[in-house]
Amino acid sequence: MSTTVTQDMSFLHLISSASLLVQLVMLILVMISLLSWWFIFRKLFVIRNEIKKTDDFEDVFWRGADMNALYQRTTNSRYDSGSMERIFAAGFSEFNKHPAGSDLEAVMESTRRAMRATYQREMDYLESHLSFLATVGSVSPYIGLLGTVWGIMNSFRSLSSVTQATIAHVAPGIAEALIATAMGLFAAIPAVVAYNRYASGTDQLATRFESFMEELSNVLQRRAAG
Amino acid sequence: MSVSVLRNFPHSEPRSLLAGVLAVLVHLVFIALMIFGLNWKDHPPEGMVVDIWTELPKPVQEPVKTQPPPKQPKPVQEPVKPKPEPETEPPKPEPPKPEPAKSEPPKPAPQKVATPPIKKPDIAMKEKPEPIKEAKPDVEEQKKKEQEKIKEQERLKELEKQKELEKKKELEKQKELEKQKELEKQKELEKQKELQKQKEKEQAVQRQREQEAKAQREAEAKRAAQQAAAKNQITNEISKYKAMILAKIRSRIVMPPDLPGNPVVEFSVTLLPGGDILDVRLSKSSGHAAFDSAVERAIFLSKPLPLPPDPALFNEFRNLNITVHYRE
Repeated sequence: MSTTVTQDMSFLHLISSASLLVQLVMLILVMISLLSWWFIFRKLFVIRNEIKKTDDFEDVFWRGADMNALYQRTTNSRYDSGSMERIFAAGFSEFNKHPAGSDLEAVMESTRRAMRATYQREMDYLESHLSFLATVGSVSPYIGLLGTVWGIMNSFRSLSSVTQATIAHVAPGIAEALIATAMGLFAAIPAVVAYNRYASGTDQLATRFESFMEELSNVLQRRAAG
Repeated sequence: MSVSVLRNFPHSEPRSLLAGVLAVLVHLVFIALMIFGLNWKDHPPEGMVVDIWTELPKPVQEPVKTQPPPKQPKPVQEPVKPKPEPETEPPKPEPPKPEPAKSEPPKPAPQKVATPPIKKPDIAMKEKPEPIKEAKPDVEEQKKKEQEKIKEQERLKELEKQKELEKKKELEKQKELEKQKELEKQKELEKQKELQKQKEKEQAVQRQREQEAKAQREAEAKRAAQQAAAKNQITNEISKYKAMILAKIRSRIVMPPDLPGNPVVEFSVTLLPGGDILDVRLSKSSGHAAFDSAVERAIFLSKPLPLPPDPALFNEFRNLNITVHYRE
């Protein structure tokens, strides 16, 4: 770390003149930030898509569409089907497996189990990577802080060999160390915001799925009884 | 049948590649912002550095420096005044020079013209009497000769007149020459006067310079004297306070009784600003442990030590050597 007054304080120069550990921290933070932004956008698209499909399916279902036709449509477009369609398909197929005249209580019980299993699988899919965003939000400031503390330690250690200590000797080292904290915060803030937003989004979807399951079991029970 | 298939098939995740591209784009935008944002703040610190330089230590020295500058401008201005005058004067002597140069060539010319006419009349005088002596025998011839004589006399008169005229001319020429000489002399005198003036001016300038040099020397001598006086004052102050410190310590010593001879103990004391004692080390023992410890106790008892009020002098007291004699 050469410390003269007329030093190049540009962003790239600061990064290139930082110590190895600080550079490593910066590299890790850049990777984390890239990953977290990738997941942020992925989850954004997934959850938006899921809400749209759920809206569409509920719209179609409660208009009184034929359940058999709905089931056929779901199994045909298996990769594009939404979570609520899958829950419906799981419950409907389980309900139809039982021969007519079986114990209604047992039939409804197994139907609800099948729907709950699918529901849990779907929730797992929707909530995947959200834990990564939560981790990034809580950990990356600490990683950045580690780089900063290390860089400041180094810049103060370089002061010991100087007879006249001025702020100009410490400033470049601290500036380049603080870049690590800035990068950590840059990774953390969007991750935290995205995590909170997507968590509430999946929660809303979960309540919609659960209420749909209850309503579907009621509809099927009436159909079996009637 | 279809249920088992339905249960396990994965979701086709929408636009995950677009998500990656967007993530990279966000980072590129952020990095560009960082680079340009920090580059803008790159320049102001250079200006701040200049402000720091002109600040602290010089105000005491600057008045000393500012006193000479008024003196220096004066010599600069005064030489400037004489310079234009010599510059304007040389043109004056120059125009006169061509005039003597023009008047000198005429001088030899009149002299050459003047000498031949003087010789010619002499020849004419010798030639003319001779024909008169030869013409005596004949009366007619005599008459003729008389007539000729008359004519000759007339001629002679005319010649004389011519000679007189020539003489007058010569005199006039001589007068002119004399006038020219006088003019030249006057010019030379003027030149000499001018030269003298220039010399006087140069001498005056030199005198001024010498005076200024003397003044500067005197000022420097005064400064040196003042500095010396200040140093003397400082040394006096230092020695005074050292004596005060020693006296204070001596007053606190509880002397152990009946030591033989006059033992001497030396302590090196490290002081803090304000007179507190940081460290006391025995640098040279007296050989009597009781005396050494008595002096050490006295040093600690006598804190705070008296120090000069000027903090600049504290460096002289930071590391003190204290020598205590058993008997004064």
